[in-house]
Amino acid sequence: MTTKLKRLALTLATLATTGLALSDAQAQAADPVKGGTLIYLEQQAHTNLYPPAGGFYPNGGILNQITDKLTYQNPKTLEIEPWIAESWTVNANATEYTFKIRPGVTFSDGSPLDAAAVAKNYDVFGLGNKALKQPVSEVINNYERSEVVDPLTVKFYFKKPSPGFLQGTSVIGSGLVAASTLALPFEELGDATKIIGSGPFVVESETIGKELNLTARDEYNWGPAKLEHQGRAYLDGIKYIITGEDSVRIGALLAGQADFIRQVQAYDEGQVEAQDYQIYAPSTRGVNNSVVFRPDNPLVSDIRVRQALLHATDTKEIVTTLFSANYPQATSIIASSALGYKDISAKLAFDPAKAKALLDEAGWSVAANGLRQKDGKELVLTAYESLPQPQNKETLQLVAQQWGKVGVKLSVLAGDSGSKTVDDLDPLKTPVSPAMVGRADPDVIKSQYYPKNRDVLRQKGGLSDKVQSFVDTKLNGLLDALASEPDRQKRLAIAGEVQDYVVDQAYAIPIFEEPQAYAGAPYVQGVAFEAVGRPSFYSTWLAEH
Amino acid sequence: MSAYLFNRVAQALFVLWAAFTISFVLLQAMPGDAILIKFQNPDLGLTAEEVAEIRASYAVDSSVPMQYARTIGKFLAGNFGYSVQAGVPVSSLLAAHLPATLKLAGLGFLLAAILATVIAFLSSLAPFAWLRGALQSVPSLFISIPTFWLGIMLIQIFSFRLKLVPVINPGPWQELILPVATLAVPISAPLAQVLVRNIDEVMTRPFVAVARAKGATRLWVLWRHVAKNALLPTLTIAGVLFGELIAGAVVTETVFGLNGIGGLTERAVGSQDAAVLQAIVVLSALAFVIINLAVDLLYPVLDPRLRTKTGAVA
Repeated sequence: MTTKLKRLALTLATLATTGLALSDAQAQAADPVKGGTLIYLEQQAHTNLYPPAGGFYPNGGILNQITDKLTYQNPKTLEIEPWIAESWTVNANATEYTFKIRPGVTFSDGSPLDAAAVAKNYDVFGLGNKALKQPVSEVINNYERSEVVDPLTVKFYFKKPSPGFLQGTSVIGSGLVAASTLALPFEELGDATKIIGSGPFVVESETIGKELNLTARDEYNWGPAKLEHQGRAYLDGIKYIITGEDSVRIGALLAGQADFIRQVQAYDEGQVEAQDYQIYAPSTRGVNNSVVFRPDNPLVSDIRVRQALLHATDTKEIVTTLFSANYPQATSIIASSALGYKDISAKLAFDPAKAKALLDEAGWSVAANGLRQKDGKELVLTAYESLPQPQNKETLQLVAQQWGKVGVKLSVLAGDSGSKTVDDLDPLKTPVSPAMVGRADPDVIKSQYYPKNRDVLRQKGGLSDKVQSFVDTKLNGLLDALASEPDRQKRLAIAGEVQDYVVDQAYAIPIFEEPQAYAGAPYVQGVAFEAVGRPSFYSTWLAEH
Repeated sequence: MSAYLFNRVAQALFVLWAAFTISFVLLQAMPGDAILIKFQNPDLGLTAEEVAEIRASYAVDSSVPMQYARTIGKFLAGNFGYSVQAGVPVSSLLAAHLPATLKLAGLGFLLAAILATVIAFLSSLAPFAWLRGALQSVPSLFISIPTFWLGIMLIQIFSFRLKLVPVINPGPWQELILPVATLAVPISAPLAQVLVRNIDEVMTRPFVAVARAKGATRLWVLWRHVAKNALLPTLTIAGVLFGELIAGAVVTETVFGLNGIGGLTERAVGSQDAAVLQAIVVLSALAFVIINLAVDLLYPVLDPRLRTKTGAVA
């Protein structure tokens, strides 16, 4: 490229970005209106607001307004940006992290958010607190200790390389809370009024299981550094109301009794959009909504049986029948917007002929009743529906229909039965299970499959003591490497390897990329979502209506 | 009278103890428990060791008799323990949820009684046989309407279409209008049936014929003579209806998002929150016992024939 050409290209690029900026400015037609209370309808009551328990969406939806994090993950670029930490340094092999804390930040009880406070938070999140029953956060691996270098500098040491830690400081489970909150036993952290954060909103009052009121904090002036909006939140308050019934949430929104709701089923999207209301469906950017196998169960211990069922599953039919454009068909075990994603859709092809051939090869022949049999055993599998996942029962029933065409029976059991939790730990009782988890870091794959984390495949030495022998050391080795490879490029390569491996072994059948579906009134402006689809109402405002 | 009272109170205490014990045993016998449901939840990402430590700290794996002794001791001291799911003491959960249910159940029962009386009187006074027949079949219709469907229909029509009452953020009395109507319909049905039966029965008695012969109108006879006599058996089923009220409240509160014992029960069952369920069972048994005791003590007041031999009634 000559200098002239370079200059031309630069000019063009500048013009293009200016144009973009202009159209952006036009889109932001009016200045944000200050004041007003947002009525937000939530499907379920929050359970526990200990920040690492924020993975549960009703909890995260509250924690995201009342706590700040050390860093901010830009939901568009997934880059980590300054927030409570002004800057940070990481050593070469990702075992030491040093953060510079922004001066002048306080919790809502007036106590300072300084290096000591941050250290105290991470000591609990990284090591847990046995006396108070506070568990370790799943996003922090290999944590050793913290060190307060000076009032505004804190340093963390790790036993092994922990490249995922930086992103881990930006997630919902790493919200910073005051010492008074951390001093409470875990079982008392369901009381929202005791959760003292430094966020743009403060819990004013709650009626347990019914509603929660947040008010804006006037002196708040330490939002993420690169956000356009600085200073106090535009809203005066947010009123969360628990409305369990789907039809009541939608009806109330459309009847003007509420402004914003969570959990809109795909079949309700039409009536919302028909009235010019808006559907928001941010991706959860993690492990896709899938069906996983428990290979410890002899029925699915043969890789050919699992591969057959993978090819007998028509994910396209599931997505087009039950869902909408907001639920893209899966092309890997993680979402296409996730870090480290690799397109392996070729391995996920729907191919019933291949499925039948594989089952024949594995010795399962079709009996007179249409079911496959081997040594007098029928190929009958069981799965419990997962209540939090959208239309999970219908999804599993459709999978059961598809598997039925190749002679395999899948019984779908109710997700609210008392025996679910116990049976789900026993591979013999539950050989098949729905699974998904959201987090915008490759570590999310480890969270899902590693025996010491969620252990969805149920390995020996994992969550369940019912497992006889199944262990996959190769998979666990890959997951360990994924969580401790300091070099970014190498780490993404390992993430690709894991995706290939899980599908080659047919441990999981990815179905669709799960969004979080919300709906809002047309006058609700500036709703943002963190990287995994939890709402942030910091920059939200209500236009005249 | 005092011996009778003493007997009744002793019986009541026995019923309470039995309710506590049976519910305790049943909750223990269920597979899984609240700790498992809450802490095995993969969203928490706890390891097996951590879960085991939490279980130990809650002492859920100690022997059943030990746990029983500990729980009953705490109950007698007025300590209902912690809700594992909500992370707050059970007593504060009950305090937060009880007022809504008392209001809903009280008003629901009142409206049901009014509805039942109106149906019974009309069906007794209606001029044509076909109209009487139609009115007498209203209770059967009422009892077969699914409560949750009725609730959703009332919301859709009166709140979303006609915009008469908001269901989101309503005032303290506004929020009760639709739920009370929803709850009163199934409760009024058995009341109306018993009333209709009793009115028909009393109407055949000789004293009614005498009163009619003296020239009293049908309405006068019904109001002055029959109603009081027909009321007694109706009072008896009031105690039974209490169970219906609780069951109806579970559905109604869930649909309307009311913050009452019904909704709390539904959530506690879903998460096997034993401490909460235990407290609710004992509370319900207490209410049941008190209502039945009140009914028994009211009987002699309403029926002079019972006053002379109260001592003999056991």
